[in-house]
Amino acid sequence: MNGASPPAAAAHVRFLGSRRAYWRLQLRGAFLLLVTLGIYRFWLATDIRRFLWSNTEVAGDTLEYYGTPLELLVGFLFAIAILIPIYSLFFLAALDLGVIGQFSGLIAFVSLFWLGQYAVFRARRYRLTRTIYRGIRFHQSGAPWRYAFRATAWWGLTFLTLGLAYPFQIASLERYKLRNTHYGDLSGRFEGTGWRLFLRGLPLWLAVIIPIGLALGSLIATINFTVLGDALAENADDILSRLAPASPGLAIAVVFALAMVLVAFLFGLILYPLFQALLVRWWSSGLRFGALAVVSRLRTGQVYGAYARFIAWALLFCIALGLLIAPTMFAVDYITTRIGASPVMRELLGTAALLGGYVFAALGFSTIYRSTVIFSLWQLGMNALELSDTSQLETVKAAGTPSSAIGEGLADALHVGGL
Amino acid sequence: MTAGHGIFFDGAVSARQEAKIALGDTALHVTNPDGRLLAEWPFGEIEEVAAPDGVLRLARRNSGLLARLEIRDAALATAIDERAEAVDRSGSIHRRQRASVIAWSVAATVSLVLLGYYGVPALAERLAPLVPPEVERRLGAAVDMQVRGMLDKNNLGEGFECGARPGEPPGKAAFEKMFGRLERAAALPVPLRPSVIRREEANAIALPGGRIYVFEGLIAKAENPDEVAGVIAHELGHVANRDNTTTLLQGAGLSLLFGMVLGDFVGGGAVVLAARTLLQLSYSRDVELGADRYAARLMDKAGGEVRALGTMLERIGGATEPGAKILLDHPETKARVAAINAVAPKGTPVPFLDAAEWAAMRRICGGR
Repeated sequence: MNGASPPAAAAHVRFLGSRRAYWRLQLRGAFLLLVTLGIYRFWLATDIRRFLWSNTEVAGDTLEYYGTPLELLVGFLFAIAILIPIYSLFFLAALDLGVIGQFSGLIAFVSLFWLGQYAVFRARRYRLTRTIYRGIRFHQSGAPWRYAFRATAWWGLTFLTLGLAYPFQIASLERYKLRNTHYGDLSGRFEGTGWRLFLRGLPLWLAVIIPIGLALGSLIATINFTVLGDALAENADDILSRLAPASPGLAIAVVFALAMVLVAFLFGLILYPLFQALLVRWWSSGLRFGALAVVSRLRTGQVYGAYARFIAWALLFCIALGLLIAPTMFAVDYITTRIGASPVMRELLGTAALLGGYVFAALGFSTIYRSTVIFSLWQLGMNALELSDTSQLETVKAAGTPSSAIGEGLADALHVGGL
Repeated sequence: MTAGHGIFFDGAVSARQEAKIALGDTALHVTNPDGRLLAEWPFGEIEEVAAPDGVLRLARRNSGLLARLEIRDAALATAIDERAEAVDRSGSIHRRQRASVIAWSVAATVSLVLLGYYGVPALAERLAPLVPPEVERRLGAAVDMQVRGMLDKNNLGEGFECGARPGEPPGKAAFEKMFGRLERAAALPVPLRPSVIRREEANAIALPGGRIYVFEGLIAKAENPDEVAGVIAHELGHVANRDNTTTLLQGAGLSLLFGMVLGDFVGGGAVVLAARTLLQLSYSRDVELGADRYAARLMDKAGGEVRALGTMLERIGGATEPGAKILLDHPETKARVAAINAVAPKGTPVPFLDAAEWAAMRRICGGR
């Protein structure tokens, strides 16, 4: 062994990280998040990114995440300084009982959504400029405000079409993002089309929407709307008892509707991994950098496996929680009796124990989810990639400058952050 | 071992270059297989950057370029580790840094919680007088609409306020006499709009912008006019101290601290809610005690019975269980009465209303 690395230019992507190391990272992170009431999140996010990036090998060389937790912290503090005046403005507008006041809720929602999308794009710029491959950084051009308008309009359309516009939305937004993504002087683009995703996703969409449509239809067919309208106009308290005799078969229709909603929910749950698999495949296969094309061979069964792993761990965790509850309650009871606490004090301690238990459980499930589903999707998604013509990756020239982390901070404060 | 092999990226072009590495006395020399010098990095400027297990990835600090050197040879890596201070294969620097980060984060958390307990109420108190009266008036109008919506269950509209129906005006006159005496003594810079409303609870509230609602049930529970006056004086204390605005600002400050800065993790919502509730209750207890003190002094100034508020509180407050102090939004009645009684009256009290006026006031809501 001469110390040199294995031969380069292997035309695939590999993920080298071990699940055990990732678990360790997440478990320690969860504990420290709890102790620091969340302040540790900047350090945890950086650790996670360093781990995922470093262990992702593209054509023989690994990526590098070069960002620091302090950048994230400073970005967050800046974001708060930006958001306080905005929030105060909304508050004052809400007090104004004029026309603006009436719509202030809606205006606030839309503008904060816009700001969230703005933050998403800027955060992406930060992450890209902190991603280094073969000594060259990625960067992002394009205007965040322009992206934010585009994204806000698309989300509105997707909402109005009950999700039917989603494939076209994501195709359009990904085209914008990748057109503005550059690895040194090599520019990216996105060639996935909305129609392709639409046709693949349509059966899934129908599987969820048809039961809901049937539920609504059965209710509309049986309800006597004249009676309902009268009852509503009178602001009556006994709407149901007036409606039932006037609408024969209402009870059966309600039961049917509830059953259909349950069916839709179950379909959604069962089909979600399938949707995720086809989304990842479609997205990865649309990536282009110059002449370099990407194909994803991700198998749907693998994605179901990731979720099965989550369910298995979550069940184990549930059992462990169940076994812990009784001794904890006993201990709390014993201690309170021992120190001769008053009933109020007991209730207080009981509530505190309950709160602790809730936080423990919530953090536990989140840690399990991150270490199973998120980890597996990254691992599987990366391992499934095949690259064509990687020769271009050898001759890329450096370009672009690092950007600030204010976008990350905004995304964090507005709860639209990604990884 | 002072020489070996690695992979070098020069930071200008993405080409990977097989490199020979030699460790000099003060610097690390990187040459290509032909012997051409690719880089010469002083040990003091070398930093270690993120890499997968088994790879030592080096960069040169402050160079402006992102040149990278990757070494897979463990012996060579150890040799570099010994020479370059910032390279830390054993992870001891990293662990020390992490420990200090954790210590600082915990310290910051404690400091922010203390800021929530002491700083936010103090800051809100200082800021409240700076809020323009116009904003407070608008806020009052908005709150008034909500409060009326909640309290006026029977949709009585204008009739919700007592004093306009047949037989009620004498009571209203008595109420206005009582209120006028307090208002003159208080000499507040804001216009006040008091009224008695048809609610059976023994309570009174002051809204932002000078609106004060005295509940019918309070008058029913009172045994003499000064007890009602004492409660009104307490509400005037809230107006004088601008407690509504202060509470609002406190709420905003707490939202910022708990929710944006702290508690942003899965399950953190419950912690935030608990912490916020406890802190808000603690603020509220301070605010009530302040209003009580103000009320006692005002009653003295207006020539009323200072202790009347105390007796009234004892009648309507009832006993609270010991130990639940931190779950109350008002202080314990005993503590409140003690604080009120600590104000020594200067003169002999003159009752707010004579017997006839008091009887009229008790019928202000139709004598129900």
